[in-house]
Amino acid sequence: MVLKRFTLVPVLLMLAGCNITVLNPKSATGKDQAFLIWFSFGLMLIVLLVVFFLFFRFVATYRYTDKKANFIPEDVHGNKWLELTWTILPILLLIVLAVPTVAITYNQSPISEVLKKDEAVQIEVEAQQYQWTFTHEGGKTSNQALVIPEGKTIRLQLKSKDVIHSFWVPALGGKVDVMPHKDLYYEIKNPEVGTYHGKCAEYCGLEHAKMIFTAKVVTEEAYEQYVKE
Amino acid sequence: MTQGEIVIFKDKQLGFFIYLGVETIMFATLFATYMIFTPAEKGPHPADIFEWKTLLLSSFFLLSSSGTLMMSEKGLRSGRKGLLVLGLFITLLFGMTFLGLEILEFSSYLQQGYGTSASVFFGSFYVLVGLHAAHVAFGVGWMGMLFLQLGREKHAASFEQKHRIFSYYWHFVDVIWIGIMVIVYIPYLL
Amino acid sequence: MQISMFNQTFELPSDVLAAWIFTIIAGGFVLLYVIKKKKLPLIWDYIRTTNHRKIGTLYILFGVVYFLRAGLDAVFIRLQLAFPDQSFWVFQQEKYNEVFTTHGTIMIFFSAMPILLGLMNVAVPLQIGARDLAFPFLNAVGFWLFFFGALFFNLAFFVNQAPSIGWTGYAPYSLNEYTPGVSTDYYVFGIQLSGLGTIFTALNLIVTIFRHRAPGMKLTRMPLFTWASLITSYLILIAFSVLAVALYLLMFDRLFGTAFFSGSEGDPVYWQHLFWIFGHPEVYILALPAFGIFSDIIPTFSSKRIFGYPTMVVSLALIGFLGFTVWAHHMFTVGLGPMANTFFALTTMTIAVPTGIKVFNWLFTIRGGLLRMTAPMLFALGFIPSFVMGGVTGVMLSVSAADFQFHDSHFVVAHFHYVIIASTIFGIFGGIYYWYPKITGYRLNEKLGKWHFWLFLIGFHLTFLPMHISGLQGMPRRVYTYGADEGLTGLNFTSTIGAFVMGAAVSIFLWNIVITHRRGVTVGADPWNGRTLEWTVDSPSPEHSFDPMPVVDQMDPFWYAKQEKRQLAICANPRPAPPDEQSMIPISMGLSLFVLAAALTYSLYWLAIAGGVGIFVLMAIRSWTDRTIIEEEEEA
Repeated sequence: MVLKRFTLVPVLLMLAGCNITVLNPKSATGKDQAFLIWFSFGLMLIVLLVVFFLFFRFVATYRYTDKKANFIPEDVHGNKWLELTWTILPILLLIVLAVPTVAITYNQSPISEVLKKDEAVQIEVEAQQYQWTFTHEGGKTSNQALVIPEGKTIRLQLKSKDVIHSFWVPALGGKVDVMPHKDLYYEIKNPEVGTYHGKCAEYCGLEHAKMIFTAKVVTEEAYEQYVKE
Repeated sequence: MTQGEIVIFKDKQLGFFIYLGVETIMFATLFATYMIFTPAEKGPHPADIFEWKTLLLSSFFLLSSSGTLMMSEKGLRSGRKGLLVLGLFITLLFGMTFLGLEILEFSSYLQQGYGTSASVFFGSFYVLVGLHAAHVAFGVGWMGMLFLQLGREKHAASFEQKHRIFSYYWHFVDVIWIGIMVIVYIPYLL
Repeated sequence: MQISMFNQTFELPSDVLAAWIFTIIAGGFVLLYVIKKKKLPLIWDYIRTTNHRKIGTLYILFGVVYFLRAGLDAVFIRLQLAFPDQSFWVFQQEKYNEVFTTHGTIMIFFSAMPILLGLMNVAVPLQIGARDLAFPFLNAVGFWLFFFGALFFNLAFFVNQAPSIGWTGYAPYSLNEYTPGVSTDYYVFGIQLSGLGTIFTALNLIVTIFRHRAPGMKLTRMPLFTWASLITSYLILIAFSVLAVALYLLMFDRLFGTAFFSGSEGDPVYWQHLFWIFGHPEVYILALPAFGIFSDIIPTFSSKRIFGYPTMVVSLALIGFLGFTVWAHHMFTVGLGPMANTFFALTTMTIAVPTGIKVFNWLFTIRGGLLRMTAPMLFALGFIPSFVMGGVTGVMLSVSAADFQFHDSHFVVAHFHYVIIASTIFGIFGGIYYWYPKITGYRLNEKLGKWHFWLFLIGFHLTFLPMHISGLQGMPRRVYTYGADEGLTGLNFTSTIGAFVMGAAVSIFLWNIVITHRRGVTVGADPWNGRTLEWTVDSPSPEHSFDPMPVVDQMDPFWYAKQEKRQLAICANPRPAPPDEQSMIPISMGLSLFVLAAALTYSLYWLAIAGGVGIFVLMAIRSWTDRTIIEEEEEA
């Protein structure tokens, strides 16, 4: 019964993966992150299965029964080769995991200054207790509703008026903290058309749970229109 | 001390050294805080308010008090009670003088309007140097206790233990002061 | 409800009122019991005690009391989150924020920590052949600091001032500007007080382990729980010192006008650094003793020595060391930059290696053994797969770019409950079942113990497994509600059911304690067929243990002596025992600091001075009356 429950875990996760927001991302940024999640999960599944297999096998084989009442186990001190095996194999596994981790982290980490000039769509995100204000390049502002064009690189410049908040649109990727007195920049690349939930992910006070917004990805023309309005 | 007492004393010695290790970590964190926040962007620059005279004077008293305490320790080891008492007494006087100078220094800053909220530099200065001063004050009180217990002949062995543990403490407080000199004051006086 | 008193009107919400009524009624019953059963002399004895077993018992007792309180908080959280857009009782907004803050803070500082320290207090001296901790008086001081710190923190709720800043107390939200009033000060002083006590106890354990071992008990022959306690103590010394300074700075920011963590000059991220330099090692402070407990339980009930003892010790030390190099993995999203994020991602991954070694060594201890499925063993076995599940999500979290999604979501909530419950809480339950005879002389009922284990295991997985998915579905931490359209309803409802199953399991545990004491069947010195020295002394352990003092010639000395049907050799003149005494000074010291903390919280500076003077007077009295045991023996 227990065995069944444990082996069900990964299966459930796989099945559910089909429509879980974060694992079904709508931007290049989110897809990189989802890839890392699946990749690390896969590697860890190997570890998990090995441990579960040995665990249930050993427990089943060596549990006490009345037949074995007088059995005194042999005294094993250890085994250098076995111990080396489970030192080196995990290290190899982690190196495999570290490569994409470093690559994607270097690309995606929020940064505190931007030096390059490029075509990215700049949006200022200002958070304050329980609301979001988004300012577009032309000066157009909106509350609780972020509108961005599809297919572009969106560069968010985030700042807080009071405490620390955190900007998170699970479907598009994230997240990045919004700090007082310090601007952070975060890029969302290549978003797809749709309307997504956005949230504050850093506990910020009384109505933290209600500090939500919608993130709407529209076509480029619709975006031009929206900014001009 | 008897054999058994020496064994028990060694426990205390180790315990107290570990305690000083704890204090070292706390002070190290406060030193780090000071280095991060000093000099501050607003408020006066430390170079404008620190003075060589104050630093040298208070350092003279505190650092030489370690020397006088060693004198007292020598008296304790060789059984010369006069030296023990004299050394401890001068240490006490020097410690109190240092505290007095420290109070003068703090109050002169306060008179110029620089309290804890003047700038992050002042904040980190007060929490660090203030905590050290509190340690000196505690040490002064401890010396007072030692004087009170001086006459209790029946507990001669335990007086020796108390004296030795105290001297570890006092030397430690001095070492922290050297850290304060080197990190807090001197970079802004040069 | 509003109450007028002293010309002031107090707001008294129904949950606080209910707590008052419950406490008064329960307190009345306890008082009645104490008087009827004539337990007052016993309480008087425990108030003044410096004996390690009695102090350990007190730690465990109050740790369990606070475990129940924080567990109740968890139940409220789960009830509020059972359905979308729901309003359970008062637990929305402010009350919800209070309840998750107190749940986390109490579970970590006032429940898990004291119970672990309690088990160390009971078991470490007995495992190494010490007659007590090196400094019994200091041990009592440490306990009373914890007691009054915890009391102070818990009182906040009764005056409707429970802190609501999360257990992490992130600035600037934890500063005056955003949380004015006294609630956050209860957090600052409550933790500061008990944290100091923890430092003293850690120091005490280190000296005990280095200097009070029985003859022949080399470091390389020490039981692994003692090893874990030793390494944990070092972690405590470093981590809690940093925490003490962090709280000291926070206190200055709140009460004395500095601005370290706010404004254009201060830096809220500095608080996060300090907090996590403490906070991450704290995770290992909670986990390593549990590893130690399992490393003793598994060989005992497998009738086989631990597999790869030297590696087990080295990996403990490695985990402890690496634990200090990973703190910023809690801060991947605050903008430390790609360099720092990568560095901390890699250091975090390395911790998986020594942890993995331990898991496989436990597995190979089981292999070829004879597994007796007792309650302590069940908890140890349940730990292995459950903890590994938490461990692998830990590795997933270390993948910094993926962590941008995981961070501060319910995925993280699932992860840290998996590791902390599977290691620390399973370890605590296993340890309590295992050493209960040494503490009380009774063995807890095995049948109820098994019910307790299975319900707890099932409830635990039922509660936290769905949280992985709700986190990935986009549910942040610390929210009191969620929308019906977010696909979170089923997951959250499952978690709530799981929480009740865990609650049922804990009730069985409490009932087990009650009936065990009611039946009062004592067991002998060695009820489990143990391997280490604690099973050679009577149950409960006597105040003058190890008389005569045994000589240790190998690891697991008691087991091999039993195998070879011989007695342990005796040492004629062991080192002098630590002084044994009874004193009112420790509790008075705790009380003075309690007064000091309360006075600072309410800005009553005259009272603060009184509390401060009190502590110095008590230290002076101690210095005046302190004697070494040798003098007393000579006088006698």
